[in-house]
Amino acid sequence: MDLNWSAEDLAFRDEVRTFLDTKLTDDLRGAGRLMTSVYAEHEASMAWQAILHERGWAAPAWPVEHGGCDWTLPQHYIFSRECQLAGAPSLSPMGIRMVSHAIMKFGTKEQKDFFLPGILTGEVFFCQGYSEPESGSDLASLQMAAVEDGDDLILTGSKIWTTHAIEANWMFALVRTTRSERKQLGITFILLEMTTPGIEVHPLVMTSGEEVQAQVFFDGVRVPKANILGKIDDGWTVAKYLLEFERGGSVTAPALQVMAEEIGAAAAQQPGPSGGRLIDDPAFARKLADARIRTEVLEILEFRTLTIVAQGGNPGPASSMLKIISTELSQALTELALEAAGARGRVYQPHATRPGGPIAEFEPPADDYLSGEPWQAVAPLRYFNDRAGSIYAGSNEIQRNILAKAALGL
Amino acid sequence: MDFNLTGEQELLRDGLTKFLAARYDLAESRSAAKTGPGWQPEIWRAFADELGILGATFPEDIGGIGGGPIELMVIAEALGHALVIEPYVGTVVVAGGLLVRAGTEAAHALLEQIAAGTAVVALADGPGITARADGDGWVLSGSAAVVTDAPLATHLLIAADTGRGTGLFLTEFDAAAPPAGLTVHGYRTIDDRRAADLELDDVRLAAPLVGDATAELDRARDEAAAAVCAEAVGGMRKVLADTVEYCKQRQQFGQPIGSFQALQHRMVDMYMEVEQAVAAVYLAILNLEADPDVRARSVSAAKAVVGRAARFVGQNAVQLHGGMGMTEELAIGHYFKRLTAVQYEFGSTDYHLSRYATISRPGA
Repeated sequence: MDLNWSAEDLAFRDEVRTFLDTKLTDDLRGAGRLMTSVYAEHEASMAWQAILHERGWAAPAWPVEHGGCDWTLPQHYIFSRECQLAGAPSLSPMGIRMVSHAIMKFGTKEQKDFFLPGILTGEVFFCQGYSEPESGSDLASLQMAAVEDGDDLILTGSKIWTTHAIEANWMFALVRTTRSERKQLGITFILLEMTTPGIEVHPLVMTSGEEVQAQVFFDGVRVPKANILGKIDDGWTVAKYLLEFERGGSVTAPALQVMAEEIGAAAAQQPGPSGGRLIDDPAFARKLADARIRTEVLEILEFRTLTIVAQGGNPGPASSMLKIISTELSQALTELALEAAGARGRVYQPHATRPGGPIAEFEPPADDYLSGEPWQAVAPLRYFNDRAGSIYAGSNEIQRNILAKAALGL
Repeated sequence: MDFNLTGEQELLRDGLTKFLAARYDLAESRSAAKTGPGWQPEIWRAFADELGILGATFPEDIGGIGGGPIELMVIAEALGHALVIEPYVGTVVVAGGLLVRAGTEAAHALLEQIAAGTAVVALADGPGITARADGDGWVLSGSAAVVTDAPLATHLLIAADTGRGTGLFLTEFDAAAPPAGLTVHGYRTIDDRRAADLELDDVRLAAPLVGDATAELDRARDEAAAAVCAEAVGGMRKVLADTVEYCKQRQQFGQPIGSFQALQHRMVDMYMEVEQAVAAVYLAILNLEADPDVRARSVSAAKAVVGRAARFVGQNAVQLHGGMGMTEELAIGHYFKRLTAVQYEFGSTDYHLSRYATISRPGA
């Protein structure tokens, strides 16, 4: 047992640091630092992806033959950690971290040759079409109809909570090709172009004012069967593989540690509720200490999961546990940041932030006036958006159900 | 011991509730907040002319109805239930309370205007403003951040350190044409109100309304905190009812999600938080006219309980609504933002916990 990195790991860390020091411009760091959710400003995110791609680091987890990196697991962790510590904007997970792995496993040669290079360069930008208005936690009940017609499927229905539907030029979606007793059967995994006639994107305005998610309507949308990934009616197998692939791969603790450090630094400059500095207020100091301790413990849990995966093992229900712990910890931190922002945290000033999408019904002040500091403008928006953490990617209630069964045998 | 409203208080509550249900539309109010003037002046006039609630807590000799803390609670809770953004607490509770106790002719004249719905008054206070006598007037300098309702105000009350206490100054005001030396940076708040940062650079004003208003300001802040607690209770009742209704309707896994025990228990916890918040509001309201220490202790207790409840109820209402709770499409998202803001208004939850600890310390 050893918590220390090896000499090779440390050398690799220095290499990554040097790269980040030179390539991460002030503008890109700003986009990372002023993010209002897990989604960075789209343009900055794509610009950063291009820089990473140039170095061959856009998709390190991919197999080397497709453009990935021949790294050890600790190196993967170090790379994620250093990017988060440096405040790099996040990349969209839909292509690089998600659908690409299903394409590698289930895709035809044509599909691999077209999609994988495009995803790396950003020319192919995917959004995800899973949830429907009536199918959220109960995803397998999805109803969007896909009717066979010669070489095509004709899609009618709607998808919701589609992140970056406006920016994306492709969608991976689950559609219903056959109705059967077992709802998991008869689902098909399909890749479709967002410019196909019959698709309409209606942005959803979130409580933060941002339009990052959308509802996407399909009215007789014709998609070639050649775009099916895997077998028709067998899309659940592909979707499950994707879910399993995500297991154990996430690195969240460093970003949370950065958040905690930034809150501490801000609180050293802020007045406390009863005079003095906020950081010296015992109640605040204890809450921040508690959150920081949880980030340290989470990091060990993430290390442990990684080593299990590295030895070819299955992390099992740990992924559900890590999802709950990291999203609830993130919510505790965004709550603390809002507390630290004090009265300024009530001011709505998205113009001082770098949100993940357009802002509805807001005119920035003519003189660009900012009440307080940029982090105080970020705090309320981040707090609102972060409530999604316990809802998306399988709500934390669903994750607890999984744990009750898989970890405790209940 | 009696927790019943009088017949008149019930009429006040029912009349206001009915008015708001018929005339206060959430979408219209949000559009006034976001792309309009920031409020609905015609609603404010109706509060004065049709309902008489703006003067309901003022003494009868200045055009009021002579109501007390109970009337205040009844009004604030109804306004909170309908998510009213118009400046009731700032103008009627904070400014109204300060003006009643100032007792001067100018104060009385302004109170009559408030009761008639023709004046909106914002209070600029905080540690940042100083005042010095200069000839027959006074000169004020400094700054105040996040002054609620200032962009809508016809008058400003400014609390400034005179070197011999906190003077309370009054001036007519128009955010579009502020007095010389006063810079106004107006904006919308996260809960769709209007507020502004004020910078004062040698602003000349007449003699203060009250030479040292320290005690009056303490009382005004306590009354405002109690009013905001009652408002939050109104909001939480609405959010809880909406959440229960949603969980009965929303089907997943072939049954209403409200049939899952984990969610039932969560909603029961929300319900108990609301009930404790209701009780805490009684504690504050029924002690508003007590000695300053008892008043402060009761208000801090209430604000701490309501702050915790607002957080729990708001967050879980969003959670149980799933993605829909994160949008501007349902009422829940708008209420969540208000329930977030109330945790920080007139003293945060931590501030009130700490003030309670100080007041209730043995031997204090």
